[in-house]
Amino acid sequence: MRMLMTTNTTLLLTALGLAACGGSYPTPTDQYSAAEKEVGRAQESSANVPDAKLHTQLAQEDLAKAKALMGGENDRAASLISRANAEAELAINLARQAQAQAQAQQAADALSKVKGGGQ
Amino acid sequence: MKSMRINKVSLASLVAGALAGGLIACGGTHMPPTELVNARAELVRAKQGPAAQLDPTDVHEAELALNRAESAFANEPESPNTIDLAVIAQLKAQSAAAAGGAMLAQNQAAKAQKDLVEAQSNQLKSAKGDLAQTQGNLNKTQEQLEREKQETASERTKRMQAEEALKSARDTLARIAQVKDDDRGMVVTFQGDALFKTAKWELLPAAMVKLDQVAETLKGKERKILVVGHTDNQGGAGSYNQDLSEKRAATVKDYLISKGIPSDLIRSEGRGPSQPIAENSNVEGRASNRRVEIIVEPKK
Repeated sequence: MRMLMTTNTTLLLTALGLAACGGSYPTPTDQYSAAEKEVGRAQESSANVPDAKLHTQLAQEDLAKAKALMGGENDRAASLISRANAEAELAINLARQAQAQAQAQQAADALSKVKGGGQ
Repeated sequence: MKSMRINKVSLASLVAGALAGGLIACGGTHMPPTELVNARAELVRAKQGPAAQLDPTDVHEAELALNRAESAFANEPESPNTIDLAVIAQLKAQSAAAAGGAMLAQNQAAKAQKDLVEAQSNQLKSAKGDLAQTQGNLNKTQEQLEREKQETASERTKRMQAEEALKSARDTLARIAQVKDDDRGMVVTFQGDALFKTAKWELLPAAMVKLDQVAETLKGKERKILVVGHTDNQGGAGSYNQDLSEKRAATVKDYLISKGIPSDLIRSEGRGPSQPIAENSNVEGRASNRRVEIIVEPKK
């Protein structure tokens, strides 16, 4: 996922360079598809975590904006796709953190019960 | 995987640096946008959190993303793409912090799980120990019960055998004396005239033969024996008859001891004329009252 983002960032910077040199930026179709999948994964994992859900929503909005710009302003579209990827990545990590924290709490509670003699 | 990722990041960083160098001529002095300020703060936060130790690669990536945003800001401070890069840097720093938090929680969960297994194992060991002890106690109790059961059966058999033996003794004694049962036990009564001469307490030879049979019959029965001497009322109620009854009872007792009755199981008493069983007004009655009773007491 991060490899993809890094690639996207490279592409974005290359686009900036190309724009500066007067070249045209290609339509970021592949990046868009990859980001769409990443946002899908974020959507799956963030269902019960409000913060993660929020960032998934922001990622979806960035993707929608990117889609609208594709073909016309490809460099902006690529930049927004990168943002969407970063939002999705954050959503996934927030969900993972919440899940791990819940599991840690559950394990601590179970340990406490056993040590305290209760069940 | 991680090193590959870092290589890619390094490549992107080089590209960003090259581009920044090419574009630096267009730059001016601007205040950094809020997004960039936030990205810097988030990176500091990520570096101070658990991610710095547990997930340094993600922190490093966030740092590279911030460098790219800083370069873009230096070259194109007002470009929307600069804002995008700042937002991406901020998100990456937050993401690294969250990934670190997740790893910390995973480690905590794993440790708690390990401790839980250990605690449960200890509890199980302790419960097994208690169970073994309880089982041991139960076995002991069962063995004790079994022993008691066997002892009870054995005692019952012994008692029945003793009763049978006493019944047999009773039949034997009934041939040489009067035998009856009352609340004192089995009472074997000899007429005084059959054992002693008048006013004497030495045993007659015939008496000895009878007492030999008594001793033989009662030996080994493990019963307490009380020998009681009685007189008629001839000679008055004074000490003479009392004394005579005591001496006669003692003589019988001593004789039985000499024939094998354990001395700790036998004792004697004299009652004088105080407990007549017949009228003293005629010869037959007085003869009945002069008597020695050998009382075989019930087992308590």
